[in-house]
Amino acid sequence: MSAQTDGRAGAVRSTDGWTLDEWFVVALARTVADGEVVFHGFASPCAQVAMHVARRTHAPGSLLVEGATYAVNPEPAFVPPTSNDLALHRDAVYRMRFEEFFDAACRGAVDRMFLSGGQIDAYGNTNVTAIGGMPHPKIKLGGGGGGANISATIGALTVWTTRHGSGRTLVETVDFLTDLGHVTPAGTRAELGHTGGGPQWLVTELGVLDYTADGRARLLATFPDVTVAQVEKATGFALAVADDVGTVPEPTPAELAAVRDVDPLGVRRLEFGPSDLARHFGPAA
Amino acid sequence: MTGFHLAADKRTTLEEAVAHVRDGATLALGGGLAARLPMALVRALVRQGTTGLRVVGSAHSIDVDLLVGAGAVAVCEESYVGFEQDLGLAPAFRRGAESGSLVVRESSCVTMLTQLRAAEMGVPFLPVRGLLGTDLPTLHPEWGTVTCPFTGQLLAAVPALAPDVALLHAPIGDAAGNLHLDQPYVLDERFAHASRVVVASVDRLVSTAEVAAAGVTVPAHVVTAVVEAPFGAHPTSCYPGYAYDRTHLAEYVKAASAGGDAFEAYLDRYVRVEEQTYRDLTGAERLTAWSASDEQWQELFR
Repeated sequence: MSAQTDGRAGAVRSTDGWTLDEWFVVALARTVADGEVVFHGFASPCAQVAMHVARRTHAPGSLLVEGATYAVNPEPAFVPPTSNDLALHRDAVYRMRFEEFFDAACRGAVDRMFLSGGQIDAYGNTNVTAIGGMPHPKIKLGGGGGGANISATIGALTVWTTRHGSGRTLVETVDFLTDLGHVTPAGTRAELGHTGGGPQWLVTELGVLDYTADGRARLLATFPDVTVAQVEKATGFALAVADDVGTVPEPTPAELAAVRDVDPLGVRRLEFGPSDLARHFGPAA
Repeated sequence: MTGFHLAADKRTTLEEAVAHVRDGATLALGGGLAARLPMALVRALVRQGTTGLRVVGSAHSIDVDLLVGAGAVAVCEESYVGFEQDLGLAPAFRRGAESGSLVVRESSCVTMLTQLRAAEMGVPFLPVRGLLGTDLPTLHPEWGTVTCPFTGQLLAAVPALAPDVALLHAPIGDAAGNLHLDQPYVLDERFAHASRVVVASVDRLVSTAEVAAAGVTVPAHVVTAVVEAPFGAHPTSCYPGYAYDRTHLAEYVKAASAGGDAFEAYLDRYVRVEEQTYRDLTGAERLTAWSASDEQWQELFR
């Protein structure tokens, strides 16, 4: 892999700092285990960049299916701001068909998917349909793509949001349940007959969370400029907190180099507000 | 289905092609997100003044939004309408949904695929994974559940969906309607086989030998009409010809967000004109530069 060595994005020196958007993508990338089949949907620049970072660092044996082109293990020269673009086919030996990908996801052949939402509840149910609910939305969001089907069947889900700090994203109850978490008002995944494992990780711009045995989000680590109290205040449900909450492990130079190499246009930054884009860490901070 | 279309020469004009779309029709739109959307046909549909459409499909953007803004759509049954993180929510779609003038029966990609497959297979319904426990079924009284006769599993069940008309765009096609597409085909093949009428636009009409050499993705016998429309997917991409026009899409989103006179001005300038005028105004030709180098390609996205 040339990501760590070619000079296009500039070498990463140990004295360089890094930004929150870079660290966030690295934290997302670390949720991919080597050897997994991973997929992101459209409108997901952070997840999209993270999957390539994972493959170029700790998970070279993963099989990456690029969302919306269904290209297998492409090596894009850059990530464009639209996810159905030929740039995302680069050097892919094979491109799945739309049907082929979704069939694989439905029958359980896909290990991980990245999902986000305008609202996310304690169980990882997400709302990408409408704030205020349907049929009378206060804000009509874009919609869920294939999530209402394959969130039920994919092995594990990495849920993410860059808007945790708004106080409006992690909510007690989603206004519309588009994609499935661990427990819905109609029952658990097992009771509903769903075969996938559900949310495993929740990565936000405040920290990293996992899920307890009863399916609720639990805070594991925060970014160093964030306190546990801040996370609790920004969360609209009773938040479980691990006994030994730490800080999110720092990105390595190789991971930072991969982020910068994969994403020279900086599409990952489209997901963050101005105050989060200003967050800077590391020796040069 | 209602049978194959065997005419040898199906070439026609944009105006005649969209005359297949009647008020109130169930309309499938090909392509996905901001790629290979049948925009020349969509613009002709707006000029025709069609109303009451039920649009169906997976993930879409300016095609659906423009039709909604122009008052052509009653019901929207897509899995997503928007401009991703780049340009954000779909302004006219959002305004319609929030004001109640547009009925949104949001669907999901696999559900739509399954409904089209049922129509293709000639069965009244198919089971589909997921959906149970989500709120999507509350928008779809026509969906149900089925118990597997062999395992006893309860699954969501969705009815066959045969669109009245599908509008597709392809980079090349022949006079009989054989079409070659580049991947991803998204739902275009499914629309082509499940719909009663298939209307295609192509950037270039070519010989049958040329389409055959490139590979026929959609065969002539499922196509009703074909129109040559250079840059017919613009402002969305149609590779290998042209990349998407971020500048024009931003101009559209701005006009659609403002609504009212600004949206009417957009329609007057870009939609209620000849396609040749549209191509000249938008400078669509510059988008072929993507293939010169990675640097030039990236520049188109800045």
